[in-house]
Amino acid sequence: MTRAQKDKLTDILVILVWVLGLIILWEIGASIVAQTKRTPANVLPHLSQIVESVFSDKMVSNKQTAWQIVMSNAGITLWRAGLGFMIGVIVGFILALFMRYFKAVEKTAFPYLMMIQMIPILGMAPIVLAITKDINKSRIMIAAILTFYPVATNTLAGLKSVEKEKLDLMHSLAASNWHIYTKLLLPSCVPYLFTGLKIAAPMAITASILVDTLQGSGGLGTMLSQSLKHAISIYVFWQIVFVSAFIGILSYKLMSVIEKLYSPHEKAKAAKS
Amino acid sequence: MQTAETEINIKGLCVTFPDKDGGEDIHALTDVNLDIKQGEFISLLGPSGCGKTTLLRSIADLQKPSSGIISVKGRTPHEIRLSQKYGIVFQSPVLYDWRTVRRNICMPMEVIGLPKKERTRRVDAMLELVGLTKFGKKYPHQLSGGMQQRVGIARALALDPEILLMDEPFSALDEFTKEKLHMDLLDIWNKTNKTILFVTHNIQESVFLSDRVVVLSPHPGRVSAVVDIDVPRPRDLSSKGTPEFNALVNKVRNSFEGV
Repeated sequence: MTRAQKDKLTDILVILVWVLGLIILWEIGASIVAQTKRTPANVLPHLSQIVESVFSDKMVSNKQTAWQIVMSNAGITLWRAGLGFMIGVIVGFILALFMRYFKAVEKTAFPYLMMIQMIPILGMAPIVLAITKDINKSRIMIAAILTFYPVATNTLAGLKSVEKEKLDLMHSLAASNWHIYTKLLLPSCVPYLFTGLKIAAPMAITASILVDTLQGSGGLGTMLSQSLKHAISIYVFWQIVFVSAFIGILSYKLMSVIEKLYSPHEKAKAAKS
Repeated sequence: MQTAETEINIKGLCVTFPDKDGGEDIHALTDVNLDIKQGEFISLLGPSGCGKTTLLRSIADLQKPSSGIISVKGRTPHEIRLSQKYGIVFQSPVLYDWRTVRRNICMPMEVIGLPKKERTRRVDAMLELVGLTKFGKKYPHQLSGGMQQRVGIARALALDPEILLMDEPFSALDEFTKEKLHMDLLDIWNKTNKTILFVTHNIQESVFLSDRVVVLSPHPGRVSAVVDIDVPRPRDLSSKGTPEFNALVNKVRNSFEGV
C-alpha cells in the first residue's frame, strides 16, 4: 500500500468514526427522550423513524407526502439562493475590480459594505421586503447581499496580494492595463475568489432558509416553521434538518470541484504531496 | 571592447526618497556617472542600502530619478522600456504558478502580440538554451529553485532584449547551483552578446562574471570605484583562486567606503 492510499484510508476511517459516533449519540438521546417525553418525535425521534417518514406514502398536506413537500420546497429555496448567489458573485467581483482600480471607490465603498454586513440578516429581511415588495425577489436579494461581501473582500485581497516584482515585470514589458489584468491580476486572485465563494455558497442557502421562517410563500424555511407549529407533520422538520445540511455541504463541495477544474496547477501540487 | 559603442550613459544621477517618518530625505543614489558599452558584462556590487537595485530600477524605468540623465542608445529609459528592449530577472524567479514552464516563458511574447507559431519556436529555443527542454509541461513548484531561476532567465531572453538586467538573481540559491548557473550565464552571454547588468552583494561572484565591477557604497549611495576585471575569457571554475583573481577580489573589497 502506498503512502497516498494509506492516507486516504485514514481519512475514510476518521469520517466513519465520526458518523458512527453521531448515530450512536443520537440513538441514545432518542431512547431517553422516548421514555421521558410525551411527544418524543417533537424533541428527538429515532433516526429510523425519520428514514421511515421519507418513504411513507402518507399525505400530510395538499395531497403531498412529507418527502414531496421537502423536495419541492428545497427546489424553491435552491433556486432563490442560487440566483441570489450568482448576482452577488457578479456584483462583488466587479466591485472588487473597481476598488482595485480606483482607490477612491475603495475608500468610499468599503466602510459601508462592512456596515451592511453587520446588520443581522433577520433585521434586514423586512427592509428588503419593503423595498422589493415581493417575497421571492426579497429572498434572492438577501442571498445576493450576503454573497457579495465575502466575494468582494476576498477578491480585493487577492488583487492586492500580487507581488510587486510581478507587477514590475509587466511594467518592464510595457504591458497594457488590459494585459496586466487578464494575464496577472485576474489569474492571481482566483484562489482568493474561491475562498470567498466557498464561504458565500452555504451562507446564501442558510440565509434563504432562515429568512423564510419569518414569513414566506414556500421554501424550506416556511415549511420548517409550519412544521414546528404543527401545521404539518413534524417529520417535515426533521427531514429539512438533514436536507438543508446536505445542500449546504454540497454547495461548498461544488465550489471546490469548480476550483479544481480551473486550477490544474493546484491539482499537480496535490498529486505531488 | 575598445571599439564597442556606448550603450548606457549615466550622468549625475540622483535618486532621493522622502523619509516616511518625516525625517531627512534618504539619498539612495548621489551623483552617479557611468558609461556602459554594448555587450559588456557589468556588475553592480555593494552591501544592502547602497542603492544598487535603485540604480538598476532607474535604468529599467521602474524608478524615476530625482535628477540627472540616463540615456540608453541615445534614448530615454522610458522609450527603451516601451520598445521592450529590456529583459529583467529578479531575485526570486517571479513565475506565474498557474502557468506551465512553457507558458511562463511565453507570457512576454503574448503581451507584445507575437504570432503563435513564432512563440512556440522561441519557447523551444529558450528551453534548449537554459537546458530545460524536458520540463516544459511542468508547473513552477515542481522544479528546484535553480531550475525556476533558469525559467526566469529564459523568459527574460525570450523577447531577445538588447539589455539584460539581473537583480541578485542567484542570491537565494545554494553554492553548487550558483556555480552551475554562473557557467550557464557566461555561456548564454557568449552566445547572445547581450549587455548584462548584474546586481549582487557577492564579491567573488561579481569578479568571476564581469568585465567591470561597479562598487557602490552606502549612506549616501554612490559609486566608490569601478574595477576592471582582466581575468582572461573564457572563464571556468579554475579561474577562481588564481593569484590574479584573489588580487582583484581584494582590490574590489578595499574599494568600499563607509561600510
